[in-house]
Amino acid sequence: MAQLALKVENVWKKYRIKRPFDGQSESLKEVLNSPINWVINKIYPDPNHRDNHNQDFWALKDISFEVHHGESLGIIGRNGAGKSTLLKILSRITRPSRGQIILYERVNSLLEIGTGFNTELSGRDNIFLNGSFLGMKRLEIKQKFDEIVDFSGVEEFIDTPVKYYSSGMFVRLAFSVAVHLTPETLLLDEVLSVGDAEFQQKSFLKMQELLSSGSTIVFVSHNQNAVKEICKRAIWLDHGQIKIDGKSEDVVNKYGKQIEA
Amino acid sequence: MNSVKTDNRIKPIIVTPPKFIEMPNFKEVWEARDLLFFLVERDLKTRFQQTLIGVFWIALQPIIQVLIFYLILGILVKVPTGDIPYPLFFLSGFVAWQLFSQIVNSSAFSMTSNIGVITKSYFPRLVLPLSSTIGSLIDFFVSFILLIILMGLNSYPITTRFFFIPILLLLTMIFSSGVGLLFGALMVSFRDVKNLLGFILMIWMYLTPIMYPISLVPPKYQILLSINPLTSLVESFRWVFLKTGSLPPMSHFLVSFIMMMVIWLLGAVYFRNMENKIADVM
Repeated sequence: MAQLALKVENVWKKYRIKRPFDGQSESLKEVLNSPINWVINKIYPDPNHRDNHNQDFWALKDISFEVHHGESLGIIGRNGAGKSTLLKILSRITRPSRGQIILYERVNSLLEIGTGFNTELSGRDNIFLNGSFLGMKRLEIKQKFDEIVDFSGVEEFIDTPVKYYSSGMFVRLAFSVAVHLTPETLLLDEVLSVGDAEFQQKSFLKMQELLSSGSTIVFVSHNQNAVKEICKRAIWLDHGQIKIDGKSEDVVNKYGKQIEA
Repeated sequence: MNSVKTDNRIKPIIVTPPKFIEMPNFKEVWEARDLLFFLVERDLKTRFQQTLIGVFWIALQPIIQVLIFYLILGILVKVPTGDIPYPLFFLSGFVAWQLFSQIVNSSAFSMTSNIGVITKSYFPRLVLPLSSTIGSLIDFFVSFILLIILMGLNSYPITTRFFFIPILLLLTMIFSSGVGLLFGALMVSFRDVKNLLGFILMIWMYLTPIMYPISLVPPKYQILLSINPLTSLVESFRWVFLKTGSLPPMSHFLVSFIMMMVIWLLGAVYFRNMENKIADVM
C-alpha cells in the first residue's frame, strides 16, 4: 500500500448559530451585562449551558478516514451535509473542535478559483499574487509562469488590468494558476463547473494528468458523474457523518437512488 | 510529461482543536514572506495606479491638516511654539502621528478587508496586518518630503540627527503594529470596536503633543502625557527635525525598544488566538 497522504481522526466541528439580530460576533453588550460570567464561561465552557442567544450546531460528527498517496477521493452529499466544512478543515482554514487531522504531504486547496485576484492589477501581477495565496513561492511561480499563461490563452492581455477581461478570460487565467500548483495533495471544491464546454474538457484532462502523475486528489462535488469519472473512491456524507465509504461507482449509485427516492 | 518535482513530502502536520493560548508561529510567517511582499506590492500598485494623481491624494492629507491647524491654532489661538513657525512645529510631530494612526487603522481593518481570501485559503494571517504596516510607510515618506520642503523654506538644515530617523521609525512601527494587532483581534470578537476605533484614535491624537507643545500642559498633568508612548516618539522626531531639547540617553532607546517589543508580542499573541475563530465568525 502507498504511503498515507492524510488522515482524519475522529473529527468533530461545532458552529454556533447566532440569532440574526446579534450579528455574527459577540457584542460588547454580552460582556457588559455579566462580565464575570463571560470570563468564567470563556475559560471553562460548559457544554450543557445553552443561553437563549446561541445554539450549537455540529457540522461534522466523529469523522474518520485515511487517504493514501495517489488516491482520488470524491466527497458527495446533500447541501449542509458537512462537505465544505470537511474541506475547510483539510485545507486548514478552520480547525476541528475535537479530534485531529494529520497531513503527510504538501496540501493545496482550491475552494474557489481566483482567490485574492485584484481587478486593478494586471494578469501578470495576479498570477503572482494568487499563486502566493495558494502557497507557492515566488521562484515556483516564475518557473511555471509561461506554462500558466499558455494554458490560460490570454497571452495578449497579460499586462492589461484584469478588470478589462471578459469573465471567460478571468476564469481561464484563475483556473490556470490553480492547476499548475502541482501539490502532492489537491483539495477541490466544485471547480469543474467553470468556463465553456471546451475549457471544461481541458480542465478535466488536466485533472486526469495530475492524477496520472501521482497527485492525491480530494474532490467535493454535486456533480455525480464527475465524481464517478475522476475518483476511484467516494465518501457519502450525511448530516455530518459518513454514510458510506467505498468504490465511487457503488457510492454514487446508492446516493443517486436515495436522491430520487 | 516531466513535471518539476519540488519537495512535497513534508514533516507531518498535525492539526488539532485550538488551545486556550497559542503562540504565534513566526517560522510560518517567515516562510510566507513572498506573499507578504506581493501584498505590499498590491497595495502600492493599486494606490499608485494613476501615478502622479496617486501621490497627490496622499500628500493632500498632511497638507490639509497643516493648513487647518495653522489657521486655527497658529493664527487664531496663537499657540506659543517659541521661535519655531507653527506649520513646521505641527508637521514635525504629525509625521509620527500619521504613521501611527495609519498603521493602527489599516492593520486593524486588514482582516475584514481581506475576508474573501481568509475564508478561501490558508496562510499565516499575521501576514495581512504586517503588509498594512509596511505599506503605511508610503504615506510617511510623502509627509516626510513635505516636511523637508517646509524645513528648507524656513532654513532649517538637515543635520546628523537625521541618522536617528531609522531607529525612531522602527520604534514607531513596532508600537503601532502592536496596537493595530490588538484592535484587529478585538474586532473579531466585538464588532462594536469597529465603530469605537475612530473615536479612540481621535482622542489619542489630542492626548499627544502634536498640535501643542508639551510645555503648555500644566506640570502636574505632564506625567499623564508621558505615559503615552507616542509622546516620547513625537518629541524625539521633533528633536531630530527642529533641534529642540537634548539627546535622550541611549539607555532610553533600549528601554523603549523593549517596551515596544513587549506590546507588539502581546498584540501578536492575542491576534494569533483570534485568528483561530476568524474564518468561523466572519
